[in-house]
Amino acid sequence: MSFGFPWGLLTLGALVPLVAAYFLRRRQKPVVVSALFLWRTPRPRAEAGPRWERFTREASLLLEALAVIAAALYLADVRLGETARTKHLVLVVDGSLSMSSRGPDGVTVLEQARREAAKRVEDEGATRVTVLATGLAPRVVAGPEAEPSRALAALESFEARGADHDPMPTLLWAQELAGTGKHVAFFTDVAPVEGLVIPSPVRWTALGTARDNVALISAQRRDEGGTATVTLRVARFGPGPESVAVRLRALPGPDAKQGTERVEKVSLQEEGSATLRLTFQNAGDIEVSLPDDALPEDGHARLAVSPTRPLAVSLAQGMGSLERDALERFLGASPEVARDGASGDVLLIGPRGTDAKVTVGASGKSRTFVGPFFSEKGHPLLDDVQLAGVRWSAGENPPGRPLVTAGDAVLVSEEDDGRVHLNVDLSRSNVQRVSAWPVLLGNVVREARRAREGFVRRQLTLGEPLQLVTLPGKRYTLVGPGGSKPVFGAGAVSLSPPAAPGRYVLERDDSDAVDSAEVLALDARESDLRGRASADVPAKDSGEDEARANASDRARWPLVLLLLALVGDFYVTRRAS
Amino acid sequence: MSERLDEAAVGRLAPGLALALPRGPHRGRVGEVRAASTGSSLELHDFRAYQPGDDLRQLDWNAVARTDELILRVRQDEVSPRVEVVLDGSRSMALSPRKAACARELALLACEVGARQGLSPTLLATGVRSERVQGSACRAALRTLEFDAGDDLVTALGRLPPPRACGLRVVVSDFLFEADLAAMVARLSRGASGFFLVQVLDAEDLSPSGGEGARLVDSESGAALEELLTEDVLAAYARRFEEHQRLLRAAALRSRGALLTAPATESLDALVRGALRPLFVAGGHA
Repeated sequence: MSFGFPWGLLTLGALVPLVAAYFLRRRQKPVVVSALFLWRTPRPRAEAGPRWERFTREASLLLEALAVIAAALYLADVRLGETARTKHLVLVVDGSLSMSSRGPDGVTVLEQARREAAKRVEDEGATRVTVLATGLAPRVVAGPEAEPSRALAALESFEARGADHDPMPTLLWAQELAGTGKHVAFFTDVAPVEGLVIPSPVRWTALGTARDNVALISAQRRDEGGTATVTLRVARFGPGPESVAVRLRALPGPDAKQGTERVEKVSLQEEGSATLRLTFQNAGDIEVSLPDDALPEDGHARLAVSPTRPLAVSLAQGMGSLERDALERFLGASPEVARDGASGDVLLIGPRGTDAKVTVGASGKSRTFVGPFFSEKGHPLLDDVQLAGVRWSAGENPPGRPLVTAGDAVLVSEEDDGRVHLNVDLSRSNVQRVSAWPVLLGNVVREARRAREGFVRRQLTLGEPLQLVTLPGKRYTLVGPGGSKPVFGAGAVSLSPPAAPGRYVLERDDSDAVDSAEVLALDARESDLRGRASADVPAKDSGEDEARANASDRARWPLVLLLLALVGDFYVTRRAS
Repeated sequence: MSERLDEAAVGRLAPGLALALPRGPHRGRVGEVRAASTGSSLELHDFRAYQPGDDLRQLDWNAVARTDELILRVRQDEVSPRVEVVLDGSRSMALSPRKAACARELALLACEVGARQGLSPTLLATGVRSERVQGSACRAALRTLEFDAGDDLVTALGRLPPPRACGLRVVVSDFLFEADLAAMVARLSRGASGFFLVQVLDAEDLSPSGGEGARLVDSESGAALEELLTEDVLAAYARRFEEHQRLLRAAALRSRGALLTAPATESLDALVRGALRPLFVAGGHA
């Protein structure tokens, strides 16, 4: 039991005159009579004994005392059990990476936010605290309506390593969670921009400080054979050092006995960036680090081994020499393509009439077209395919959905199972000699590569969506720093950007790990600390709203009890007179 | 009006009064009242033929001479009948000093008048210690009698010996208690040739004063009831009192007795000449 307005208990003082009046009434003149039964209404059930005893004056006193107590409880705003008076405070913490930046005193903005949050909880006497973290996807750090100690403990273990994002969805969510008339405390490191419409109950507290920073804004690794190529991009935000030493430490790979460590000095223009490309032999994971500065997190990256996965392409028997030559020329210049004998997924290209993935050739009577050609706009196989100046000879129409047509002739078609047919007679066409040919085949290879199981990209920066491919009929789980979650959908799947950097592993139910991707804690917008500032923008709602809201929450049951006691007292005293 | 036992007033009134005895024959010691049994008194009751064993002295020789048959005179006994005065010793009888005094005076007057009539008075007092005294001891007993019984007359009768036959029984009480009145009166009248219920009532019993709140305390049980003595409440009391009186009177009539209500506010002389006239008749042995 708790009281919202303990001064209301002073009403209990009314019990003193009430009891005094009762005893004064009890002391009224006693009159001895010969026969008391003549003063009372006869009791017809006297022989059997009354089921209910008649009310006496004591019952009246008890009822009147009960009425006084009920009035006192109502005025004191009593709360019981679950409805006991609670003060709910919703805290919102910026979850972006820049909150991990350090001020001149070496204290991170997030640590200052923790201290300020604890102070705010204590000042407002909150009994329930909900902590939300902003991000590309808002999330609950503690709560809803958790114990203050638990909420602050959860905030202690919270790490702000998210990408740049808009905090408004989280603030609106916090407003809903807080309820009408309740304030929301938002801790960030940047003052609201002019003209930004902040939800009225939100108190915006910026704890940041403008700092110079040097950061990695991208890091890529590519492994071909035993050579690892690392490409780094280093940026300088603000008038910081003109040169910076980039330290790269390569852990030993499977065939190496020891790792290597290299330090490269990079010159940086003010507000400029520099690109650094290095190669390592037989390297395992490569750790990249910059000297610690205001935001050390964006100066570190760990690049795991990312071997290329060449696409195996095979040419079927029975293909004409022209078609074979044209395809060989393309495949010879195409990167990450392995010819016959390579393991893994195979893209089979065959002549017309076979069940190859891609068929090239024409059958039946040929017709030649110089235009106009009609292409299905937006189809990935036709990206950047320009057919101007092309002479295309085609035979009978192939099966499947037409992608490119000329008159009533279908030049390119695609079946429902993904098979592609190029209806072209290369002996009478010049397609293979214009740029449309390698572009078209490049699209075919790219789509075949995209259909392979696993991540599309293995190194991502903060805020980039996770794109992956799953096989139909299989169940997948994505395991990351925040735990594991199932992956729904088959084929090309685009997952929302991960909330935290780290390694994400795609697991299939019938195998341990299918593929892995590394999300690096790199975000150029978060590394730019020059616009960070301190500010305290109070909430627009006044405390009166809160007071009114609290008043409307006052428990009603004491009023009901008061009414019942008064009615009962009226009944008792009426019977007595 | 005296608030104590006014023996002088009783002494003044007793010589000119006699208890109203019933006309029927009585039983009792040898006395002056015709008895229910045959005996040797001078008063002729009947004639009958002589039977062997009869007292020859009762033969009416004149009748024998005239009829030449042995005719025997049958005479009744003359007895002195008993009078019992039962005095309720409950606390309600001492509701006021005047009520207590009036009850004592009426009991003493009945005893005194009965004694003067030669009726062998017996006083039965139903206090905490029930008393049964006879003759001249009645006066002394009445002087020291305490109305201290915490129960009503019906309960107190259980402490008395079973009623004996008597010529006249006078019960002095206020009869203000909840009981089966018919059964109580029947029990009181058992064995008595004559039966009077003398109801002594205080002014507050007859017409209680109201106008303010009061805690009404039962004089015998001590039970309390808080009431605002409004007109309505007093009117309700009056209705219940009248109903009680009606039932008591009816019960007395069924037992061949009479209910005489004696307001304690009146003097003994006024009561004897007024409300108690059926019991105390004029023409005593002055």
